[in-house]
Amino acid sequence: MKLLNTTGNVQEVETERGFDLSRRRFFQLAGGITGAGLVLSACRTTPPSTTYVGSGDAGLLNMMYIVEQVQAGFYTQAAITPYYGITTSESSCFIDLRDQAIAHSEYLKALLGTNAAKPIVLNLSLAIFADRTSTLANAYGIADLAVGGYNGAARLLSSTDFIHAFSKIVTVQARRSAYMRDTLNYNSFADASAVDSNGLDLATEPASVMAGIEQYIQTKFDISKLPSF
Amino acid sequence: MNFKNILREIEKSDPEVYERLSGRRQVLKSFGSKVAVAALPLAIGSLFKKAYGKTADANGVINALNLALEMEYFEYNFYHTANSLPDLIPPSSAYPSGNDKAGFITIEAQEKAHILLLNTVITTLGGVPFTPKNYSATAVNPLYVPSAYDFTAGGTYSAVFNDYPTFLIMAQVFEDTGIHAYQGQIPSLWSNASVLGQAFQIQSTEGRHAAHVRLIRRQPPISAPENPAPWINNNIPPTIALQSYYLGEDNTQQIGGIDISALKDSYSSTGTVPLLSATAAFDEGMDSATILSLIQPFLL
Repeated sequence: MKLLNTTGNVQEVETERGFDLSRRRFFQLAGGITGAGLVLSACRTTPPSTTYVGSGDAGLLNMMYIVEQVQAGFYTQAAITPYYGITTSESSCFIDLRDQAIAHSEYLKALLGTNAAKPIVLNLSLAIFADRTSTLANAYGIADLAVGGYNGAARLLSSTDFIHAFSKIVTVQARRSAYMRDTLNYNSFADASAVDSNGLDLATEPASVMAGIEQYIQTKFDISKLPSF
Repeated sequence: MNFKNILREIEKSDPEVYERLSGRRQVLKSFGSKVAVAALPLAIGSLFKKAYGKTADANGVINALNLALEMEYFEYNFYHTANSLPDLIPPSSAYPSGNDKAGFITIEAQEKAHILLLNTVITTLGGVPFTPKNYSATAVNPLYVPSAYDFTAGGTYSAVFNDYPTFLIMAQVFEDTGIHAYQGQIPSLWSNASVLGQAFQIQSTEGRHAAHVRLIRRQPPISAPENPAPWINNNIPPTIALQSYYLGEDNTQQIGGIDISALKDSYSSTGTVPLLSATAAFDEGMDSATILSLIQPFLL
């Protein structure tokens, strides 16, 4: 499926794009009835042009702004079309996470001000939202990209304010990833795919973060000025 | 390249730069016309290193890492004790179907790795790594110092190693406190990018640990009454007696002067981010005096 995300706020987007009740019902039905192989391409939009993410601190903030928008859209969809067998506890976590991702996204947008990257168009077709394994695996994959992105950006940022802000968010992203991992595969919260033998969590090169997150985005990005290790 | 111009620019942005060095005249003298042009970038590099890389900043970095190291010893000793007990962590006689032991062995191993890593970094920076009271480098396992800790806090939590739910309460509090400690020290690490990066990576590992413990408490068979999420909603403690470990977690004012609970969220009934999520979306820091006062009851 493809959601146009103009402001990082998916609800607003749904209204703008005519996500009326019947369309929302369609997704609910699709999530509840259709099984594997669910293909949602009903709301196709025209391919956007390349979006410049910026350089220096603005580039790093835009990178995470983009990742948070993907998370917000992902959790929104997961809440609208819950997978088979979802528990009440999991449902409430997805709703909480949706609001937290919106908070991060809107926060980064506010910090960026006029440097905020242009709106992105999501493409979440990699995930099958009716399927528990697919939803949770994609959710923790995106959360790991966020953890690696914030941790990797820490040593590249110039502004101490932004370093401080990233610090306060990254541990929450790690909590998020651990939760999704444990829910899918108990005790995998900090396994060797996330934490190395020194006890260090992921720290990912910005270009690799962008390559990973672009799997969930239709928009193409110009990352030529993004800082690197 | 006009070196005087560069110095003038630095002066503008940091009027105290010469106090960090040895006076402008000295700096210019040491960079007199005899310095080959090709050597200038290197010379400037070492000048900046002298101004910003050492002295107070270096001590600040070492002090920050030593507080982190103290927390890591604390947590490692807590988990090493618990994992050594045959019937505390499920599968156990109280919770025969549980499968929690593997997770706590992972956590213990990563706390140990953090001790070793921080020891190395502090030593490399020229500091003296923290050691717990009664530490002995020649002990069979020098990192395990049971005579330094009393995790019952003088009997207040006497069931901590007998009763799994009590153990989990303390594990959650210690993990969240560890994160508060790292968060509080991040501003002391700004002068050293690679150490800063590693501190980020350690504290996010701690975030995974905290989420895991909190999820165990959320789910059956524990189903803790306050229904903890893997993250910290508001400033809700596991018990009222432990409220001080969560003070400030209900903050919504974040860096940049932005109130998270005032940000737009069309899914919320109020149109803005709900308070529980606004507070959960950010972990908060505590200063070293606060952290030390919080672990003090558990030290011998």
